[in-house]
This record gives sequence, C-alpha cells and structure tokens, in this order.
Amino acid sequence: MYCLRFLLIPLLCALIFTSNTSQPAQAADLETALSGLAEKSFKARLKAVDDIAATQDERAAEVLDALVKRQLFITKADGHIVLPDPAQEGSYLFAFNGETAGDFSKSALKRVKINNRMRSAVRKALGTLTLGSADRNRRLAAARSIFNTRDSSALELLDGAIAKETDSRVKREMERARAAALLASDAEESDKLAAIDVIAPKANQDALALLTQVVSNDSGAVAERAERAIAEMQSALALWATAQNVVYGISLGSVLLLAAIGLAITFGVMGVINMAHGEMVMIGAYVTFVVQDVIRTSMPDLFDWSLLIALPLAFGVTALIGIAMERGIIRFLYGRPLETLLATWGVSLILQQAVRSIFGPNNRLVGNPSWMSGSLELGQLTLTYNRICIIAFTLVVFAALFVAMRKTSFGLQMRAVVQNRQMSAAMGIRTKWVDALTFGLGSGIAGLAGVAISQIDNVGPNLGQSYIIDSFMVVVFGGVGNLWGTLVGAMTLGVANKFLEPYSGAVLAKILVLVFIILFIQKRPKGLFALKGRGAEA
Amino acid sequence: MITGMLLRSLDKGSYWFLGLLGLIALLVPALHLLLPPESALHVPGYAVALMGKYLCYGLLALSVDLVWGYCGILSLGHGAFFALGGYAMGMYLMRQIGDRGVYANPELPDFMVFLNWSELPWYWYGFDSFGFALAMVVLAPGILAFVFGWLAFRSRVTGVYLSIITQALTYALMLAFFRNEMGFGGNNGLTDFKDILGFSLQSDTTRTVLFSASAVAVGLGYVLCRLITRSRAGMVLAAIRDAESRTRFLGYRVEHYKLMVFVVSACLAGIAGALYVPQVGIINPGEFAPANSIEIVIAVAVGGRGTLIGAVLGAVLISYAKTWFTGELPEFWLFALGGLFVAVTLFLPKGIAGFLIARWQGFKDRKSAPGTATVANEGPAQ
Amino acid sequence: MSKLNFLRKGIGAAVVSAALLSGSAVVSAEETIKVGVLHSLSGTMAISETTLKDVMLMLVEQQNAKGGLLGKKLEAVVVDPASDWPLFAEKARELIEKEKVAAVFGAWTSVSRKSVLPVFEELNSLLFYPVQYEGEESSKNVFYTGAAPNQQAIPAVDYLMSEEGGEVKRWVLAGTDYVYPRTTNKILESYLKSKGVADEDIMINYTPFGHSDWQTIVSDIKKFGSAGKKTAVVSTINGDANVPFYKELGNQGIAAEDIPVVAFSVGEEELAGLDTTPLVGHLAAWNYFQSVEAEINESFVEEWKAFIGDEKRVTNDPMEAHFIGFNMWAAAVEKAGTTDPDAVGDAIIGVTAPNLSGGYSAMMPNHHITKPVLIGEIQEDGQFEIVWETPGMVVGDAWSDYLAGSADLISDWRKPLACGNFNTKTGKCGGSGS
Repeated sequence: MYCLRFLLIPLLCALIFTSNTSQPAQAADLETALSGLAEKSFKARLKAVDDIAATQDERAAEVLDALVKRQLFITKADGHIVLPDPAQEGSYLFAFNGETAGDFSKSALKRVKINNRMRSAVRKALGTLTLGSADRNRRLAAARSIFNTRDSSALELLDGAIAKETDSRVKREMERARAAALLASDAEESDKLAAIDVIAPKANQDALALLTQVVSNDSGAVAERAERAIAEMQSALALWATAQNVVYGISLGSVLLLAAIGLAITFGVMGVINMAHGEMVMIGAYVTFVVQDVIRTSMPDLFDWSLLIALPLAFGVTALIGIAMERGIIRFLYGRPLETLLATWGVSLILQQAVRSIFGPNNRLVGNPSWMSGSLELGQLTLTYNRICIIAFTLVVFAALFVAMRKTSFGLQMRAVVQNRQMSAAMGIRTKWVDALTFGLGSGIAGLAGVAISQIDNVGPNLGQSYIIDSFMVVVFGGVGNLWGTLVGAMTLGVANKFLEPYSGAVLAKILVLVFIILFIQKRPKGLFALKGRGAEA
Repeated sequence: MITGMLLRSLDKGSYWFLGLLGLIALLVPALHLLLPPESALHVPGYAVALMGKYLCYGLLALSVDLVWGYCGILSLGHGAFFALGGYAMGMYLMRQIGDRGVYANPELPDFMVFLNWSELPWYWYGFDSFGFALAMVVLAPGILAFVFGWLAFRSRVTGVYLSIITQALTYALMLAFFRNEMGFGGNNGLTDFKDILGFSLQSDTTRTVLFSASAVAVGLGYVLCRLITRSRAGMVLAAIRDAESRTRFLGYRVEHYKLMVFVVSACLAGIAGALYVPQVGIINPGEFAPANSIEIVIAVAVGGRGTLIGAVLGAVLISYAKTWFTGELPEFWLFALGGLFVAVTLFLPKGIAGFLIARWQGFKDRKSAPGTATVANEGPAQ
Repeated sequence: MSKLNFLRKGIGAAVVSAALLSGSAVVSAEETIKVGVLHSLSGTMAISETTLKDVMLMLVEQQNAKGGLLGKKLEAVVVDPASDWPLFAEKARELIEKEKVAAVFGAWTSVSRKSVLPVFEELNSLLFYPVQYEGEESSKNVFYTGAAPNQQAIPAVDYLMSEEGGEVKRWVLAGTDYVYPRTTNKILESYLKSKGVADEDIMINYTPFGHSDWQTIVSDIKKFGSAGKKTAVVSTINGDANVPFYKELGNQGIAAEDIPVVAFSVGEEELAGLDTTPLVGHLAAWNYFQSVEAEINESFVEEWKAFIGDEKRVTNDPMEAHFIGFNMWAAAVEKAGTTDPDAVGDAIIGVTAPNLSGGYSAMMPNHHITKPVLIGEIQEDGQFEIVWETPGMVVGDAWSDYLAGSADLISDWRKPLACGNFNTKTGKCGGSGS
C-alpha cells in the first residue's frame, strides 16, 4: 500500500497538471489555508493541512503531495508558498493557483518542514481527496488509506463513490473502507454488525487491528461479534504464519545457498578450503557499488539496469582474482588442504584491508533498483520483491551450474579431475588448466552472490566474514562434492532457523542449528549426500 | 623412573629452551622491580603485562601444536578451550571483587545487579574458592574436549571436517556467551577485576608473579608435551598422524589416543586462558571468535608445526608483530599478517623452526659424516 | 645439536630483548604534548571508529594552527586496537606508559571502555569517551562526552508519547544483545511502566551482532503494531545490523506514519550506506545532527569536508562529542597550566565549551556534560530534519533514576566528596569508588 503510493506520486502530479482549472473563489480559501503552513509550530501547520484538505480545492491534492515530498517552499522574502515548476528547473509556481511565481535560488527559499503526524494527516486528507479520481489505482489506494485511517468523516464521500464505482475490486475495497469508517463512527448497532460482516471474511493484520479496536471501544453485541471475527481471523492467520515461515526459511536458505554454492565447488570439488571465499562475495558487492556509482554520475537512466550490468562484471572480476589466487598460491598447495586454509585466510585479510584502504572503512550505498523495492502481498504473505528476486536468481545460478557440470565438456573434465587426477591427465585433460578454471568458476559465483547480497545486507569490508562460517556449514552439512547436497543443506538450515526463531529468538536459533550440525556430522561424517566410491576418499 | 623418563624425553634443545624460560621468568621481574624507572634496562610495567600475554599465547600455541603437529588434528576451535579456562578464572576474580563493585552488592557481580538478577546462578557457586576455580580451569575445557572428541573421533570425523566442526563449536560458544541470559556478562564479559588471592592485580609484584607463573607454565607445558610425544603413546600419535587407517589396522584404538591427546591439549589451552585473564584484565566472548583460533594455528605454522619450541616462538613472534604494527603502522597490520600467512605456507612449509632445523641439518651433514643425526618425529608429514 | 638449539634460543632472546628495548627506550619528548587516539582502524568497529580518529587528527591540527597548548605543539599518537577488546587495554597501557600521552580520546563500544577503564584508573590518566552509552558507571578518570540514557532515550520516548510525536501507546524495544541496549531497554521499560504503559504493550526483542535476516522480526513488529494502538519501535540495534533492518522495514512497507522507528545508534554515517527513500520519517534521537542550523556547525562541517577531502562525507554525533571533549580538555589544560591528569581532572569540572548546535556544554561534577537533545526525522538525502528539541540543556545522569540498583546513587568528583557512586540513602560512598 505504501509502495503503491510511491508509484502513484508521479502519476498523480501529471494528472493534476493536466486538469488544472482553478476556481477563484476556492483559490482564495486555499491561499488562506496555505498560509498556515508558514507557521512555526507543528501544531499550527497540522491544522493548516486539515484546512487545505477542507477546501476541497482541485489543487489541494497536488499541494499536499508536494508537502510530503518536501517540495513545498516558503519564499523568504514575502512568505509565499511555492512549489517547483516541473517544466523548468529553478522556476517555481504559486501553490494556491499553480501560476508562475518566478525563479528563486535555493537560499531564497525555506522548505516547509513536516513531521510524521502531519504526514499521516496528509495521507488521510489525500485519501478523501482522491476518492473521486479518474485513475483506478488511485481510487484503490484512497480506499485502502481510508480503511487504515478509519476516517468517519469520509462516510458520505464513500457512499457517493461506491454508487459511482464500476470496478468490482475497487468497489469491494471501498465497501471495506466504508465499513471501517462506520465502525469508528457512532452509527447504529445494526449497521456496525453489518460492517463487521463486511470486514470479517478477509483476514489480515489491518483488519485484525481494526476489530481489536472495536472490541475495546464498543460493548454488547458489536464487541461480541467482533471478538468472534477476531478468533476466526486469528486461526486463519496462524496458518498463514506457518506459510510465511516456510517462505522466510526458503529466502534465508537461498541466501545461504548463494553464498555457499561457490564454496561447494572450490571446497567440495577441489578440496581447497578457501577462507577468502567470503571476500569474493564482498568484492562482488563492491563491484555492484562501483557500477552503481558510475551509473549515478554518468547515466542515471540506466540505474534500474545496474544489477544486470554488475552481474557479468562481478563474475569476471572475482573469477580473475580467483584464477590469480589459484595460479599464484593454491596450485603449490594441492594435497595439503589444511595449508590452503592458512594461505587463503591470509589472502582474505589482505583483500579485506585492501578494500578498506581503497573504499574506506564505511559501508557503501548500494541502492535497490525500483523493480526490486517493495513487496508483493499474496494473501497474508508478504513477499518482498528483493527476496523473490534473490530466490529466483539463486535457482537460476544453481540450475546453470548444474547444467554446466553435467552437460558441458568442461564440466565433464572437472568431474574427471576430481575423481582421478592422474588418469585424467593421462587421458589428455590439462588438469592444471581445469584447476584454474574451476577455482575461477567458484570465485566468480561468489562474486555473483555478492551482487545479490548487496541488495539485502551491508556493503562494507566485513561483509565476507559474516557469510564464511555459514557457508562452510552448508557445504559440510550437505555433503562435500555434491551440488544437490548443498541445495538441500542450505534450504534445510534456512527453514529450520526460521521455525526455531519465533520460539527461541534469533541468537538461540542460530546456536541450536550449529549444535545440530555438529551432532549431525558425528552421525554422518560426510554430510547428507556423501560421495560414494573411490572418489570419496581422495 | 619418572626422572628417567623426563631425562630421556628432553634433548639439549629442550634444556636450552627451559633454561631461557627460567631466565626470563627471573630476569624480567628483577629488571622491573629492582631497577629504577630511569635505568635503560628497566622493564616498564606494560612490557611485563605484554610479555606475559605473549607467553599465554605461547602456551596456547603449544597445545595446538600437540594435537596438530603430533597427531594431525587441526583444531580451529582451540580458542574455545582457552576462553573457557579464562572464564573460569574470570569468575573467580569476579567473586573476589565482593562488595567493591559499583553497586556494593556482596554477592552478585555488577552486571547481574544491573540486569536485576536476584541471586547467583548455580554455576557460579564455588567460584569464590581459588582451588575450585583452578580445578574448573582444567575441567571445563577438558570435559568439553572429552565429550566433543569422544563423539567426533568415535565416528571418525577427520581432516577438514573436523576442522570445520571445531570452528562451528567455538562459533556456537561465542554466540552463546554473547547472550546476556547466560549469566557471563554478555558482550562485556568479565572485567574490572580487583585482586587475586588477596593480592592487588594492579600491583607490580602481582604482575611480575603472574608473568613468572606464565613462563613456568609454558615450561611445564613444554615438558609435558615432550613427555607425551617421546613416550610410546607419542609414537602411536605420530603413526596416526601419518597413516591413520594403517595404525588402526595394526590394532591400535586410534580414537582413544586421539581423545587422550585432545583432552590434554584442551586442558593446556584452558590453563593458558586462566593465566591470560588476570594479565589483560578482561575476558569476553570475543575470545571465542573463530578468527582467534585460526590466528593461533597460523602462529604454530609460522613457528614450525611439530616442533613445540617453534610453536611458542611463532606465537610470541606474531603477537609481538601485532603489537608493533598496530602501534606503528596501524593501516598495514592486516597486510603484514595476511602476507606472512601466505609467505609462510608457500615458502616455509615447515615454519621458521623447521627451516632452521633443515638448514642446520644440511650444514652439519656437509661438515660431518652424513646420516649421523636424524630429526626423528619432527616435522609434519605431508 | 647444541649449536642448533643455541640458534633457536637466540631468536627467542632477540624477540624478548626487542620487546624490552622498545619498552625501555622511551625518549620523553618535552617539546610536544601528546594526545592518544584509541580507535579501531581495522576489524568490525573500523566502520564507525575510523572517522573519529580523523576528527581527532583534525582537531589537533586546528589546535596547533591556533598555537598549540601552553606554548607547546600537540601531537596525536594514533594506535589501532583492531576491534579486539583486550588489545584496547594493551594499547591504552602503551599510550599512557610508553607514549606518556596527556589524555586519550577513544573507545566506542561499551566493552572497549570497560576493558580500558581499569588501566586508566591504575595509571591515573584521562579518557574522553565520545559515544552514547548505558550509564551506570562513573570513573574519576573517564569523561563521558556522549549521551547518558537520560540525554537520549528518555527524551525520545517522551517525544513519541506527546501529542506531536503521535501519542504512542504500544512499544517495541528492539536491540542488539549487549549491555547498552539491555540497560537502555531496562530503563525505558521501567520508565514506560511508570507512565502507565501495560506489560502487554511492551515487546522486547534482542538479536545478535551483525544480524542480517530480519524477515521474521520485522513481520512480528508489524503484527504487534496492528493491535489497534499507535505503536513505535525504539531501536538500540547496533551499527551493522541496521542496514538490513531498515531495508526489510522499507520492503515490508512499514512507513514512519504507521510505526515510527526511533533509533539511538543510527546517525548520518550509518545512513550514508543506505538508500533512505523508504525510511523517510523514521526518527533518531541524538545531541547533534549535521543539519543543525548554527554557524559554528556550518564551519565545522566545511572544515571537516576540507580536511577529509571528500564533499560527500558527513558529520555525526560522536564527532561532535569529540569536538566538545577536546575543547574542554584544552580549556582545562590552559586553566590548570599543566597537563597533569589530577590537575586537569579538577580544573575541567565546570569548564564550558561550545557545542555545534550553537550553545555551550558544561562539564558536570559527575564527568558527564550538558547537551541539548534533538529528535530528527530521516530524509531522502540521508540527513535528518530536526522536528523537536529539548527547550534547554539536559544534564547527563550517570546513575539512572529508573533502575532499582542505581536510583539512590549519585556521582560527584569534586573534592571533598570525590565519589563516583555515592549512596544518598546510606550516606556512604559505595564500592571502591576509584
């Protein structure tokens, strides 16, 4: 709902500008009401917001919208309220009639300050002001907004709007809004009972909140009916909560999988304990940062594509670092897995400090492209778009990797080298070349993970450290050298974590999962999906 | 008989090492206490505490070397045993504060008072006695190592898997100790200690005594490790390290040997932690961090795995480097440390001590008839 | 064999003697006054602390440009405790004993302060601690220039309870599991209850450091907030965990008008790593914001940007705390005519120094300072818009009045009382007091 409003704002402006017919009588009212915004205290300005809404002026919605967007200014010279002219930079319009006020420099203007209380007043006002809008989505948003604000003064407007409404979905929302407004008013008991019946079928948190309030405000039959509705809703919500936990678990699992999958290759397939794996993830995230930084300064239009641009770059950069590491250090250490651990730990320290020296110790800003912001409401499930994207992305990476391992000749060579190095070499496979590429592939995937993780976590020099242990757990739990094991392992740990969390708290959940893994390894020392046969002993 | 064993297990190098330890155990306190601060040879107080800390790390490294260098168990969780020993000592020191805490509560440590705990949790009982605390210093890590090792070695978790679950162990403990509900002071840990056995921790004498005790502990720890590795059991351990399956097929109960050496090593680590806490004045869950355990493993690798003396040397060297870099070139500390790890694994796979031994060996071989000296049991298998 | 072992021993001896020499070869440089800077430059806390190191370097440079102190130049001695708490103690000792610094500015986390505290008391040196903290501590050797709970948490809650703040009735106290959030939440819980908030209207939640998966908790908050009463979140979530927390808030559509989040550990630096568009309207309580309209602040921000050579760098509250603390120390040194810790410690009580919001802060006898409390709302540009401020200065209170153990305690380091935890009930200086 909130994000909807965000999407709507540009629309709304455009709309209002096209239908800009100011009526002199009301404009005067609006002008007086607007002058209240120049007051010093928030209280007076709050009143101004209500006054503006009460004018029912055509321009009121636009002015209020500019107010929440902090685009409303007071001229220092003569105290006019102005807003920027969208057609011309540096030029401003009078708020009350939309006519040109002239050019102002930033220092000649003072921004109209707004706080949360004013913001919700504006939202409430916009709800009623936009109920008659020509745009379906705006009416929908308005109805939802009234549902949440329970503005009983909007009842009359709602009745009118419902009568005119043709879109069934919007109509339904309006009826719910009307019911909510009714419940907040001092209407007849029978009306209120009917209103509860309108609200009860759709179980969600907002409705629950509304009914809870009804229980505390009303008594008698209304409260009773509301209580019954609450009980029904709660059992429905409990089911949804379980589903939500599964989704959260899968989402956490896919982050774990993404971070671990590269490790499953370097560690699982090559037997190299790459402690610098987390740093590869970090570098992937920093590549995203650099890409976005370049885009921001030179081609802001491409911002929504930044992640797609960053993906191949992150893969390339980390893969190259990986290959360099393999050629420079790790190839001297084959057969000494524990020593690769020490050397790569050293590399990880160097990479961390290098990033800190280049980019500074602070976290860097990596933005979400617009298509990854906000959330999808599926019944009572809130699925944030960035999580959905990450789940999908993880599965794509996994599938691609799986195909690469199974269906390509490189994959075949890779598996051959894992199973029997000497024999592979004898068959003409350039094992050294395969080693380097395998390591590069593992690192490159870590880089891809970094791009995804930059969307949900801090991008700072310590990013990698927070994923390395979890990644190892996933690989060891799933069974080394088996991609399916990694998938199942990551998802199991993610879901287990999320189901434990509500009962034990986040910290204890994590500890319990760790203890579980330790005990599990005792039972199956080679993980869930152990490799069988000779290859397993290598 | 015991003296006989002792004499057999110690070579000339050991005597030199022990002699040196004894010397600094006496000399440093003397230079600190007897010389006036103006003297060029005076050892300032902070240096005593610093060197004491290095020695504690030395003892920890010794314990890691015992399991890794001689039995092939790479534990990435030895910091956990170290920290447990430290916590046991810390709890004793907390109880010694008595009513001198800021809230003047005679029974409860300050952090409990301010979390509104009304009584001492049961696991804090007994820690007002030094003897009990000392016992716990050894027992707490020992029991944990026993349970963990018993499970792990019996089900033949080896190599990399073992390393990673030891890491999981210390990580889980770190998270647990971070929790305030655990009753160990949460993230702040235990701090603001006043005195030990009635002696103020801030006095020079106590500090020097603790320093000397650390030196002595390293010495004793070294002798113990020497005894173990030179005994028959030590031979079996080396056999396990080099060919575990073959040793098992020869009829040895591999897991028993491993468990024994793992528990001994954990106890040593616990003692190191116990000595560490009063000297640095704080113990907190940060000590459980996997990075700390990895650092000490690397110290062993730098010094020379499977040489004991090398391990102590490596730990002291790395700790000193840390002090120096973080003071003089703070921005380069991680570069230096990271570079050192890479360089040592690549160019000095046997560590500094191993390198020196090899060089000396080559030198001697050229000088005298070849094959007279062997370095049996020293240097890890590949 | 014997020569071999001699070699081994030789290296050991060299190391030990190197350690010895570096310790004993202290050349006391009389021509400068040394100032210790004890902030982590590596490890997890480097994110926050590196900036403070830079501020100290800037302040020292500025003071030197003004002619130094007592006719001598100042020299900043920077060490790196590497986010390692025992190393903090070691470095503090090194700064005091080896470098002979006149005062130390540093530490960030509570645990680092607790770690160095005994060292400062033992060696009798001065520490200026610039970060908001949990209170419940008073040391002769430490000056707390950050906010005590009554200078941050309580005014913030007052604001939210007021009409202007939205008359919040239901509270989520969310924090990272360590001592500062624990204590702050304890104080707030008892404060809220004293204001008539019922038990079931308070939800307390703790998460580990660096927690990154906030899905469950944010949806719990959403659920808790839909009980029909106006709900707010009081966040003592520490540094790193905030970014994913706010991202999740934004994505799950919790707008500030519905459930405002007021944070005590989120400042301009933290927001710089974040796209703040969905966060507009969420609050933070501090004693300083970069957006404060005061001439002194404008010039400070400008100087800072010039010093660091980056137009995009921001200023924040702990930086202001160092600014105030450093100037107070400098004034006290001038007043005492010496850098001797005891003399400076006595002289500094009552010293005032300008703060960046245009007023003057004073060092109180309890080693806390007076500060205004500001509430700001997050804006799209990562800055705060100040929506409320206390009418006057608030005196930092070392011992909270809302905790059972400390309600009767006061701190006054003036002679003859000179006690950090004087119990007004028993009339005794409890604890050791040193």
